[in-house]
Amino acid sequence: MTRIPGGLIDRSQTLTFSFNGRSYTGHPGDTLASALLANGVRLMGRSFKYHRPRGPVSAGSEEPNALVTLRSGARAEPNTRATVAELYEGLTARSQNHVGPLGFDALAVNDLLSPFFAAGFYYKTFMWPRAFWEKLYEPMIRRAAGLGALSGEADPDAYDRGYLHCDLLVIGAGAAGLSAALTAARAGAQVVLADEDFRLGGRLLAESDPLDEAPAPDWVAAVDAELRALPNVRILSRTTVFGAYDHGIFGAVERVADHLPEPGALVRQTLWRITAKRSVLAAGATERHIPFAANDRPGILLAGALRAYANRWAALPVARPQDRIAVFTNNDDGHRTALDLLAKGANLLGVIDPRVDAPRFGDYQLFAGAQVTGTHGRLGLSSIEITRDGRADWLECHALGVSGGWNPNLHLASHHRGRPVWNEELLAFVPGEGGPRGLIPAGACAGRGSTSAALKDGARAAQAALSELGISAALPRLPGAEDKPLRQSAFWHVSGKARAWVDFQNDVTVKDIALAHKENMRPVEHLKRWTTLGMATDQGKTANVTALAVMAELTGKSVAETGTTIFRPPYTGVSLSVLGGGDTGKDFRPTRLTPTHHWAEAQGAAFTEVGPWLRAQYFPRPGETHWRESVDREATAVRSAVGLCDVTTLGKIDVQGSNAGEFLDRVYSNMMGTLKVGRVRYGLMLREDGHLYDDGTCARMAEDHYVVTTTTGNAGLVYRNMEFARQCLWPELDVQILSTTDAWAQIAVAGPRSRELLSRIVDGFDLSNAAFPFMACASLTVCGGLRARIFRISFSGELAYEIAVPARYGAALMQRLMEQGADLGVTPYGTEALGVLRIEKGHAAGAELNGQTTAAMLGLGRMVSDKKDSIGAVMSRREGLAGDRRRLVGLLPEDPNVPVVPGSHLFTPGAPQDMAHDQGWITSACVSPHVGRSIGLGVLEDGDCRIGELILAVNPLEGTKAALRVVPPHFVDPEGARLRD
Amino acid sequence: MTDLIPLTVFGAETPRQTAPGALALAERPDIAIASLALRRGTAGAAPFGLLLPGPGGLAAAQAHLAFWTGAGQWMVLAEGLADTDFAAALRDAAPGCSVTEQTDGWTVVDVTAPEPLIARLLERLVNLPPEALAPGRATRCQMHHLPVHALRLSSSRLRLLAMRSATASLWHALETAGQRLALP
Repeated sequence: MTRIPGGLIDRSQTLTFSFNGRSYTGHPGDTLASALLANGVRLMGRSFKYHRPRGPVSAGSEEPNALVTLRSGARAEPNTRATVAELYEGLTARSQNHVGPLGFDALAVNDLLSPFFAAGFYYKTFMWPRAFWEKLYEPMIRRAAGLGALSGEADPDAYDRGYLHCDLLVIGAGAAGLSAALTAARAGAQVVLADEDFRLGGRLLAESDPLDEAPAPDWVAAVDAELRALPNVRILSRTTVFGAYDHGIFGAVERVADHLPEPGALVRQTLWRITAKRSVLAAGATERHIPFAANDRPGILLAGALRAYANRWAALPVARPQDRIAVFTNNDDGHRTALDLLAKGANLLGVIDPRVDAPRFGDYQLFAGAQVTGTHGRLGLSSIEITRDGRADWLECHALGVSGGWNPNLHLASHHRGRPVWNEELLAFVPGEGGPRGLIPAGACAGRGSTSAALKDGARAAQAALSELGISAALPRLPGAEDKPLRQSAFWHVSGKARAWVDFQNDVTVKDIALAHKENMRPVEHLKRWTTLGMATDQGKTANVTALAVMAELTGKSVAETGTTIFRPPYTGVSLSVLGGGDTGKDFRPTRLTPTHHWAEAQGAAFTEVGPWLRAQYFPRPGETHWRESVDREATAVRSAVGLCDVTTLGKIDVQGSNAGEFLDRVYSNMMGTLKVGRVRYGLMLREDGHLYDDGTCARMAEDHYVVTTTTGNAGLVYRNMEFARQCLWPELDVQILSTTDAWAQIAVAGPRSRELLSRIVDGFDLSNAAFPFMACASLTVCGGLRARIFRISFSGELAYEIAVPARYGAALMQRLMEQGADLGVTPYGTEALGVLRIEKGHAAGAELNGQTTAAMLGLGRMVSDKKDSIGAVMSRREGLAGDRRRLVGLLPEDPNVPVVPGSHLFTPGAPQDMAHDQGWITSACVSPHVGRSIGLGVLEDGDCRIGELILAVNPLEGTKAALRVVPPHFVDPEGARLRD
Repeated sequence: MTDLIPLTVFGAETPRQTAPGALALAERPDIAIASLALRRGTAGAAPFGLLLPGPGGLAAAQAHLAFWTGAGQWMVLAEGLADTDFAAALRDAAPGCSVTEQTDGWTVVDVTAPEPLIARLLERLVNLPPEALAPGRATRCQMHHLPVHALRLSSSRLRLLAMRSATASLWHALETAGQRLALP
């Protein structure tokens, strides 16, 4: 154990956890990484390509190495950073990417073969034979190189979403973020403060420098308490703002229950969509390392991380407290780590600083003008080589803190393609122009990283942001804090022939960058893709700038001239589940139920999805063992007696106003304004390009009142188009429209005995053919005074009606019709029988109105009136479209036992079966109880002139071919006598 | 008077009431609804003494309530009149206007809870700034992918008009949110 005194952990409680099956203990406040380090465990994983032993490099979300699979079973989550995984009782974690035990990884042999695995390896190797690409090479490479693996089980947890709106979003709760939030909160602004850590404070929790001579966490606690007490402040800890989007919208993930053994009733994570009038980016900075030979051993960390583990988590990355620790730094900040380690009683070897004039800040050995040029230690650091003035010495050393300076966390500032700008004084990229509007970087992420500067800058940024909103904010009194200048040298890497890692996660070394340079992959975008630098889970947070500096050195250009890649969301990995916001499985989308749904359920109906609707598909009866039996029975009942079908799902639009008729004339391709009151007309609607997009009926209920019906699938689209036309195309027309789809339950009553059945429920209404002929409509009352609407329209080709009542009476009306029609053979029918009936009649439906057909193709060309203008009419007459000679036909198999397969394409027998000779396709098919065999509808080249011809239907997907006879599309009552009876 | 028995959207004869967490949800099938739209040339309307409100507004007069739904359009609600031909009554009260029956187009759901909880609930369901649904405000919005009219009757009362056919989905979303908000 190397737990040392102090820290921000709760030692009054002990937590037990396991790593690779072995049990350890830690405390609340620990991360998995800090707890493992405190237990003397430094080896936490294997590297991506070479399977090198790896331990944590950082103490935050930038971690490239310490990736573990957290939890087990369906909750197993690969590639979790141990450095940010909050410790909880019973946590289980496993290391990744090794074959055999972590300490004896069989694939470590890759490291010996490293000369073959240089940058561009994949592009140069495995070129042949081509047949091996997917079956051999890819599986082999995936097995040898990679990160963790998914469990393959369904995610058992719940997720949620939410929406926040604020004046100021503060991203990051370190020194700058807290002072920004405090400034805005005291001014009364609506503030959201988000931080990825489980505790507010940022680097203030990791540093030993006091604020107003008191420990910094004391000030953090006071600010935390003040902010939480204010009603205008929302604090989101454990929340990563992962992306900046348009119009001040930010995406954030709150890890609600990731710190618990199981979420229980809680959601695991919540996706927040935050709309902020202004924002302050106070995301801090990430330390960079210095590549040197064998710089990737467990025990070699960023100096700031080493300091954080000592100060915040009271842990040292060594096996025994007396083990020696050194610091290798090119800047003054690295010396702070040495001072803090000394203060903690660590056995400090000294500070290696390549600067000849390196300062000494305390009582430690300084190796000025020296470099670390090598390391030893099989599974963890045991010694380092220090070279000074050409002389190399190996010294025992078990942990090494490395600091190459700090890179501002400017990622969100470049999410709108804002280009980072190189600051030669800071030796870092800082946020440039062109970032998200209203976002102000502050503190370390803006290059102002001393504690004092960050505190002041956060307050200034908040004040500036609020002043743009007209909110006056006073600057708060801020505590006195360290304000040391960051003196550093542009020392980017230690030269040498051995491998020196730049990107730990992708195993990219200085030699790889040199190879990329040699192979002319010099632009930064090429460098990234050729070497895979900066990819995968950490997106190169600790590597990118160093790599650019190395490339700059090789090309002889400055870093500014070399340029940088920019960032896009997400800042850190986001699970797909939370992006769905909990909408999975049954809750993926809302479901719409018909007024008779519960009644149909009680009848044992099978249901089918039609858009968002659940509709009764068929109503099986005892003894029926196949759906076809039920459907045949239902269709036959409609042809011979009477059937009932809930057709509420068809869209209904109420159209009123003195210009309603003219409006409908412009919307429909055929005339509607001439429709008489009490009559219904079938209508077509065209897209602007002249193709059909919907059909339905239009009933004139009064001089200034029409009821339009649409197909189920297009109800929303038609309504939206009509609303657009009303508001934007012809605002001069006096028209008011409203959807009434849900308001009325509508039941189709179809079959030769439908009149007889309806006559039993209407209140003195004359249903005779003379009084209420085909295509009539009326308002009436039924069942003793219930207001209703009746339409004499037919989809089946039989004598038929549709009757509508207020939706709450839909189920009762259906029941009443079933009771009243028992002696008439009344039968409920579902969408399958509905489809059979309309195919038999040759009526078009969604399969024919698929966006590729015209009115002429369906034999309805005369319904595009040339006596008026309407949407799509002119375009329907354009050359090319008007010349399309495909026409709707019926198709009947020569062999009664051969099915008609919808989707099949039609070819002339003997002609080649290819695109050039395609004659059309089959739109719909069914087994017709009326015809006694399979039948189909299709569009066929010159179809109306080819009645009687044999045609070949070919379906390569189904592997079927069938000889079909071309027949008229009406298999039932072609003269239409039945529906007019 | 018809002898057919009306059913609620859940297939029951009595309205559903539940209390997930600290929320109280109540289905209100007694409320009649009709839309009112001014026709061209109609100066205005004041049915049942309602002062028809502007965008985002909500007006009440005795048992009637009106809220703005579009330019020159409102939805008018009347408690206890769902079994009457309310659209006809509104047509009489607003001559020269287009009126459309909407009673069964929407399911009225009343949500009652302490003010902070209502705020948290809206945060989960509605992507709107809180002021858009401050007490006395009404707006059309999206909840759980559904178009919903939301009326903030008071600090502790929210009235939702959900598409009748999709009410079960919205109810499920409300119940789930209520249960989650009750968790520590």
